[in-house]
This record gives sequence, C-alpha cells and structure tokens, in this order.
Amino acid sequence: MVKILKFLAYTLFFILALMYFMPKKNVYYLLEKELQANNIVISHEEVVDTGLSLKLNHLDIYMESIESAHVASVDISLFGLYNAVNMKDIKLTSVASSILPVKINDVSIRYSILNPLNVTLNAVGGFGSVSGYANVLDRNMTLILKPSKIMKRKYRSTLNGLRKKSNGEYEYVQNF
Amino acid sequence: MFKISNSSIISIVVKLLIILAITKAISLAVWWYLPDEGIEIQEDTNFNPAYQRVDFKNMLRAKPVKNSSQTTVKQGNSTNITNMLLKGLYGNKSTGFVIVALKSNRKKTSIIAVGEIYSGYKLKSILSDGAIFTKAGKEFLLKIILPKTGHNIRSSITPVEDSSAPRSVARQDIKYYEKNPDQIWKDISIMELKNGNKLSGFKVTNVRRGSKMDRLGLKRGDVIIRANNVALTSYKSAFDLYKNINKLTTIEIVVMRNNEEKELVYEIH
Repeated sequence: MVKILKFLAYTLFFILALMYFMPKKNVYYLLEKELQANNIVISHEEVVDTGLSLKLNHLDIYMESIESAHVASVDISLFGLYNAVNMKDIKLTSVASSILPVKINDVSIRYSILNPLNVTLNAVGGFGSVSGYANVLDRNMTLILKPSKIMKRKYRSTLNGLRKKSNGEYEYVQNF
Repeated sequence: MFKISNSSIISIVVKLLIILAITKAISLAVWWYLPDEGIEIQEDTNFNPAYQRVDFKNMLRAKPVKNSSQTTVKQGNSTNITNMLLKGLYGNKSTGFVIVALKSNRKKTSIIAVGEIYSGYKLKSILSDGAIFTKAGKEFLLKIILPKTGHNIRSSITPVEDSSAPRSVARQDIKYYEKNPDQIWKDISIMELKNGNKLSGFKVTNVRRGSKMDRLGLKRGDVIIRANNVALTSYKSAFDLYKNINKLTTIEIVVMRNNEEKELVYEIH
C-alpha cells in the first residue's frame, strides 16, 4: 500500500514537474500554426507562462483574415486529467451585431476525466447564458441558450433559427 | 550514530531530483522541435482605393494645353490658391494630372501635369483626395471639389436616372447602416457566388423596394465582382471595404448584369 502511494506521489510530481518545465509558449505557437491551417489566426496577443498554466492577454482573433473578435484574457490550464480554457471579456466584430449582441463576458471550456466523452462549455454575455457540451464520440455539439431580454427583443431572427424548447430555452445542435 | 546517507529523506530528495532532471530533459527535447515564434496577421492598414473619378466632360471642353518648352501653363501670377478649384485628378504621387479652374470662371478648366505651373503654383504631387502645390517654397493642399447634388439635403441618396452617372450618397446613411447593421440585411439579401471552390463575387438575391439600398441602383440578380478596383474574391476584400468605408469619398462597384459588366459609382458626401 505504501509503495502504491509512493508511486502515485512520484507520478504526480513527475506530471507537475513536466507541466512546469514544458515550453508552453512554444506549444502554443504550434497550436497557432495548426489553427492557421484552418484560416484562424490569433494575433497581437501577449503570452505569459504562469508556471502551470498559460495566459494570453489582449488577443485578436481573425477568421478567413477577417477580424472577428477581441478577447481581453484567456487562461489555458492543461493537466491531462482536468483541462480548462477560460476566456474573459470577448467583443465580437461589429459585423456580428446583426446576429447577436457583441459583448460576451465569460466563456469556459472544460474537459475532465470524470466525464471523458464530453467537452463542456458555458458562456455568459449580452445574449444571455449558454451551456452545452460536445460529444467526442458522436462528434456532435449541443448548446442550450437562455436568451436575455435584449436577445428576445432585437435578435428574434437569430432565435428563429434555433429550436425552441417548452421551458423557453433554445437548442442548437451541430455535427462536426 | 545517525548516518545522513542512510536517511530516507535523502533518498526521496534524490529521487525527486532525478524526476526533475528527466522532466527537464524531456521538455528541452520537446522545445527543440517546437516553433519559436507565433503567427501574426499582416494587416493592410492603408486601404486606399486605386480609384478617383475624373470628370472627362470637363477634360473634353478644356482647351488643349500647349506643350511649351518650359512645360508651364500660365494664367497670371496674382491668383490666390483659395481662388482655385480642383475639379478632377488622375494619377499617383509623382505622375498624373489634375483639372483645375478658378472660382471666378468655374467652366474654364485647365489640365495640369505634375511639375507644371498654374497661376504661379507648381503641382508637386497628387493625393487620393487632393493635390499639393508649391509656391515660394511653401506647400499648399488643394482638396477636390465633389459635385453638389442640388437636391434637398434630407434626401440622402439621390436617385439618378443615368445609370452610368455617379450617384450621391450621404455619409449619414452609411453611419445609419453602421449603427443598425441588422437593417442592411433587411434591406438587401446577398449571397456568395462560387466558381468551383473559389469565390467569384456576391450575388444580390433581393432588394427591398423603396429602401436606401434600392435607391443605390443595385438590382436583383446583380453579381458584385469588384469594388474600388479590388476583386471581391474573398470575404476579406469585402470586409476591408466595409471596415474602411468611412475613409472613402468615392466607391466604384462593378456588377455583372445580364452577362455584361456594369459600373456603379457613388460619391459620398
């Protein structure tokens, strides 16, 4: 029993040490290259290695070379068993204002070994709140939107594109 | 006697140090294969359309300029630059010509090439919306005069019967659409048009009758292929125009209508 505990403790220490020494900035640069292949570019960001996680400040996201969003900060924590990406203060481009309110306060994406088949997503913004998950096995994503008053009043055409549920929420399902 | 080398603490510390050394070695090996720099977008911040409308009617009416040995056009030296009007321009910084007239005789225009002198002012260079003249070592900027519509100012977009003539668009209308972007898609429906996998333009599928968009002269079925001499073969080129529309005074759109190219010119006031 003591040996097993020792083994687990050393393994944990190994993982934490590996996390600490891992060149996270360079791993992020590799991720940027992969995203670029899909016409997504993250630009103008300040990358900070905080030891066990990576923090990005003031980044602009370009899709198909079009400025699509500005994000004030992103925290990326990848521990293997528990991984999280938190984004704060997102402002979408003004072009998107015809579809939904451009201000998003908070987005969090989590993957935990306790729920191995699903990546969960939660977001709060001018549109209301969204919670959902992406099933990695079925390769589909389900989002549930609780619309804000402004969303109901000004963005009715967007809501019409979603499936309305009996409790007033709206559902969006997409395969990937 | 207590021997420190036999202590379990030393053993644990040594093992931890070995783990640290291994992890550091792994991270260095990984670092060796990873990129050193991230990706930064190359933004074209100076969206300056290579287009400036020239009033060719004035050019035809103007007296031909004699090519004197001094390559100058003289109309007296007493004219103040504030009495001059810039009615058209063509070219870039160092080459090209401008069409100028005096306020006292607006119909009498002269064509001045870069380097030539008009009323004592030497044309130094041509800008997108004006020209720089020099006199006595001083530089003077003469801005282009855009034609007045002669209509009620509230009528922000003036319908023009002659489709080839420039249409007058009020900047307040552009600001209105900027503030209410959802209104754009209520007034006009546009879809991408692809040739294979490549974007070849944007097709107008509907224009709401009586709307501001309707008065722009776009018709259902038009395919917008160019704007300000930029081929609209990507969303980026279309959004670049959208983003920089506040900086523009003239917009030239080329559409395919009934298998023929048609030019629509808008002058923004």
